[in-house]
Amino acid sequence: MVVYTQEHVYRHPWDRVTAAAWRKFTDPASRTALSHVADVHTLHRRVDPEAGRLQAARSITVRSPPLPFILRRLLPAAASSPSGAALCHCVETSLVDAPRRAMDVVVRNVSLRGLIEVEERSTYRPHPERPEEWTQFRQETTIRCRPLSALAAVAEKVETRCAERFLQNSAKGREVVERICRYLEAEAAGAASSAI
Amino acid sequence: MVFGRSKSSSSTVSPPPAAAASSAAAAACSELRAAYHECFNRWYAEKFAKGQWHKDDCVGEWHKYRACLEEHLEDKNLRQILLESETSAYYAQFDADSSSRKGGTSTK
Repeated sequence: MVVYTQEHVYRHPWDRVTAAAWRKFTDPASRTALSHVADVHTLHRRVDPEAGRLQAARSITVRSPPLPFILRRLLPAAASSPSGAALCHCVETSLVDAPRRAMDVVVRNVSLRGLIEVEERSTYRPHPERPEEWTQFRQETTIRCRPLSALAAVAEKVETRCAERFLQNSAKGREVVERICRYLEAEAAGAASSAI
Repeated sequence: MVFGRSKSSSSTVSPPPAAAASSAAAAACSELRAAYHECFNRWYAEKFAKGQWHKDDCVGEWHKYRACLEEHLEDKNLRQILLESETSAYYAQFDADSSSRKGGTSTK
């Protein structure tokens, strides 16, 4: 099992950062940076207008890194892909508590769970020192390979490869969120000045 | 963190197989999805996150998009979530997830 934790401070207010986080996978300008994301759908949403809570679940279809040959033979989805990559469905569940200014996001894979379980938990909170201006982001990624005694050595390699890919992607994800924040900031400034 | 592993052969990126897995849903529902996401993104940024959470602006867009997914989503795992999420069992699991995360925010 591998666990990584990462922290990042966005120098943007909480409402802007969380708005950017929602757009991360659906923003057309992010397609190149997040090219491993093949498809995103919202499967569920619920708004509680009394409590100011929003819950949503989205499917994120991700292309895995090319898999070792032996695993390719075991996976129907990967077998059909010339690059040896598998398409993996993840589900992202998000909970936003607007009065508390808290956003929690959990991403889990739903396919290939017989081989590997990946869970990525992220939180967005106002930064304790500058709560109106900055946002603190924390992320914990857990990668667990299922014990397949015959394939243990291979599985370990897959775990490492997936870990590499996840770290690269979460760095890219932060860059994308930073860029969308700047865009939203400019848009808000533009809207404000054109309203005068 | 630095990983030493890299493999030259794996650096060649083949063209994406145009959203292979959920292609039917992607193709059939892309306009409804875009309309919903556009509505949602605006509502979230301009209203919900800024304290105006008393009204959900995108109910109509959501119902149209969801109906399309119900018809076209093929992957059985995702379908199950789409259908199950209407039930209370799904929420119980969801709430457990988020509450287990609320501790441990104090490192510096």
